[in-house]
Amino acid sequence: MPTPQNADSMLEADSELLAGCRSGSLPAFERLYSVHGARMKSIALNLLGNVADAEDAVQEAFIKIYRGIGGFKGRSAFYTWIYRILVNACHDMRRKRQRRQEQPELDIDPAGLNFPAPCPVDHPLRLTLEKHLARLNPRSRTVFLLFEVEGFKHREISQILKIPEGTSKNLLFEAKRELQRLLWQSRTAQRPDAL
Amino acid sequence: MRVECRNLQKALRQQEPELLEAFAAHAAACPACREQLRQWDAISKAAGGLRKSWDSPQLWPRIHRALASEAARGRKPWVPAILLHIGSGNWGAAVAATAVLAITISGAWILWRNYPIEEETRTRPGPRRLLTEQALRDVESAEAAYIQSIEKLSKLVEPKLEQPASPLMISYREKLMLIDSAITELRAGIERNRFNAHLRQELLAIYQQKQRTLQEMMREDRNAPQ
Repeated sequence: MPTPQNADSMLEADSELLAGCRSGSLPAFERLYSVHGARMKSIALNLLGNVADAEDAVQEAFIKIYRGIGGFKGRSAFYTWIYRILVNACHDMRRKRQRRQEQPELDIDPAGLNFPAPCPVDHPLRLTLEKHLARLNPRSRTVFLLFEVEGFKHREISQILKIPEGTSKNLLFEAKRELQRLLWQSRTAQRPDAL
Repeated sequence: MRVECRNLQKALRQQEPELLEAFAAHAAACPACREQLRQWDAISKAAGGLRKSWDSPQLWPRIHRALASEAARGRKPWVPAILLHIGSGNWGAAVAATAVLAITISGAWILWRNYPIEEETRTRPGPRRLLTEQALRDVESAEAAYIQSIEKLSKLVEPKLEQPASPLMISYREKLMLIDSAITELRAGIERNRFNAHLRQELLAIYQQKQRTLQEMMREDRNAPQ
């Protein structure tokens, strides 16, 4: 999985991958999957809340990339374009699921969902944070996930979500302030000094 | 902005590294700001644990099948690329791509209409096959002959493809890339159904086109001024 720090190397690999994918070469798409698949899965899972939907969203994103690659104009980096497609695929899937279940808004309950095991170096706040994340508005949650969890920069997020960098910073601030408030509430409700 | 407690929220919103550093220095002597920054950092640190990782050995094969199916359905990513070439003013590549597309479509259409589907195939009960075993062998043998001749030609023009000496050669190279991508897609489709006559004929037509292109390249190269 690409680390948050290697955006430059992703850019370097970008043009080669783009040329391969543009030619419709399936091995090039396999390479795209090996470079970005893990990160795409992680984003999709955090946006959708279960492994099956996350994998469906990644598959859907690849199909859309395949269909849309000819129209990619190169105004943004190729890799931010594919994450944009993924995020949109996740939003589409969530909307479809909401219509199916006739639920007004997604309310992810981590305890009841199919999450993979947490990473080996866990943080005591992680579970609480996961629970409260579901209560954020979707735009703030997406920016928080892309910046704090996946390590994208605001410049990249602005390309992925097609928003100005300043908006990305504002949404991140709003997300963190809301999380801080929720965490403070749960701290006072449970035990002091938890945060 | 002055480094004062009331400006901390604004600094956290703007996320300017220099400003945040100044507030970190300020927090050393200010317990309220220190606590605020500690909580802020705690959220960021905990967020790192939200990155999810799990094995999904079936996912890529699933995606591969879906993409191959897209290719077989004729959704070729290089078709919109033709429009892209035109949009970028690269007329040579656009013309080459359009020629490949037109020849592929017309060739496939003519061959599809004229291909003799045997009566047995039409009336046989069970799964409908577009090609009989005999026809398949004929097509595969024709295909093999073309591949053989194309490989020979390809070897001859290889140095010119690696270092094209003129814009015309660059256009030929791009045209060949498009042809090769079409061959890859058609082959993927044929792997899924060896009896699909339509795809077979498309593949033959595109191989013929590649052969002609390579021959034209050689002719142009011979006629080029030394």
